[in-house]
Amino acid sequence: MAGKHTSRWIGRGGRTRFGPPSARMLFTWFMLVGFIFLLAPQSFTNRFQFAFARIFRWPLSIGRGIPLLVRARGRPANGAGESRRRYQNYIANLEEQLRRQQKRVEQLSGLRNRFGALEGAGLVPADVIKHTLSGPTNEMLINRGGADGVVQGMFVLADNGIIGTICSVGARTGRVKLFTDAAFAMPVRVGGSDVDMLMQGAGNGRAKIKLVPVSRRIAAGDAVFAKEKPGFLDAPMIIGKIERCRPDDDSASVWDITVRPVCDMEGVGSVAVIVMNP
Amino acid sequence: MRWIRFAVLVVFAAVLQAAGLPDAIALTRLNVRPDLLLILLVFFAVYYDGNEAVICSFTIGFAADLTGPAMGPGIISFGLFGTALAYLNRVIAIGRIPQQAAAIFVTSFLVGLTVALLGFLTGQPAAANMYAVLLGTSIYTAGLGPFLFPPLAWWMHVQQAH
Repeated sequence: MAGKHTSRWIGRGGRTRFGPPSARMLFTWFMLVGFIFLLAPQSFTNRFQFAFARIFRWPLSIGRGIPLLVRARGRPANGAGESRRRYQNYIANLEEQLRRQQKRVEQLSGLRNRFGALEGAGLVPADVIKHTLSGPTNEMLINRGGADGVVQGMFVLADNGIIGTICSVGARTGRVKLFTDAAFAMPVRVGGSDVDMLMQGAGNGRAKIKLVPVSRRIAAGDAVFAKEKPGFLDAPMIIGKIERCRPDDDSASVWDITVRPVCDMEGVGSVAVIVMNP
Repeated sequence: MRWIRFAVLVVFAAVLQAAGLPDAIALTRLNVRPDLLLILLVFFAVYYDGNEAVICSFTIGFAADLTGPAMGPGIISFGLFGTALAYLNRVIAIGRIPQQAAAIFVTSFLVGLTVALLGFLTGQPAAANMYAVLLGTSIYTAGLGPFLFPPLAWWMHVQQAH
């Protein structure tokens, strides 16, 4: 008599033999595996994704360039534009640091301060294996991980601008959560302001700064700086520029500010992970 | 069932999806693009039955998770709706192009909705215009999918006539 979930029959010599499991049993097992993956810690499930990215790194890197080629058709080469953007970001960082140093001198704090956001920091160069820039999830996979000294929380740099932080690491791969990711939030400062504001990713390559009263002077084109974070970032660094600033639809007394990255995320092929005090 | 050809096909589609090649043919400002793995799911659910359809559905879901932000939602939703489609194919033949397009559209929408819901339960962010993107993706995939069935049938040595 066949079993409920497996086919079973009496073979030669009177031995009971089991056949392949039924479709229903297979379905149940696979669903169980699916729920195990769903509820397992991300540090465990990341290993599978990192392994896939590592094994197919070469075709993924090639494939990443094809949409760029399609979109770049008809547009002039932007090699000079990239350099110009890099230098502009570098100048913006220096100006902000100079302003802060001048303020510290005025305050006569009496403390020794390091000049330069990257003074005393090490930079771990990394190549981008894969990026996701559309939808609410904006992330990059890079070819540096725990074995290279990269840990969760470290800031990631591209074109002298911050693009995000390390959210998970494998042995040789790391995942960068971009600041435009819908689950990303961090304190920032706009232009010459000393007031901390909360910037939250909005997906699709943009971020939002909300709850800023309209009494604050903010305009499109103003630079947005990532606030320093002890152990990860010693001085503010440029992270974006204000693309649009208008009164909020829900409350006209606050601004609805949209921030765009200062670098071309789609064109980023290599980044640097900031390791403070290596 | 030619499992080696199946594995090569799934890996190829997963790499194409992860490399962002569908972005090259994305439409509108919402960046609506076709889901290659979902086209594979419907193909194997329609042309295979029983254990093979179940294994194919869950394997393609695993491949979808490898290229996504989190693991688990793809395995569950692809497996669930792929298996359901395979059983439905026993009752309603999905042989002609309009039927295939309708099956792809409905499956794509349901899979996308389930993935978003399961992702939301595990802390993944949801897009503000999620339904518009989901609808656009389903329509685009349904429009493209039936035209990929003949080359898939050729690769898998499957007779297409129903």
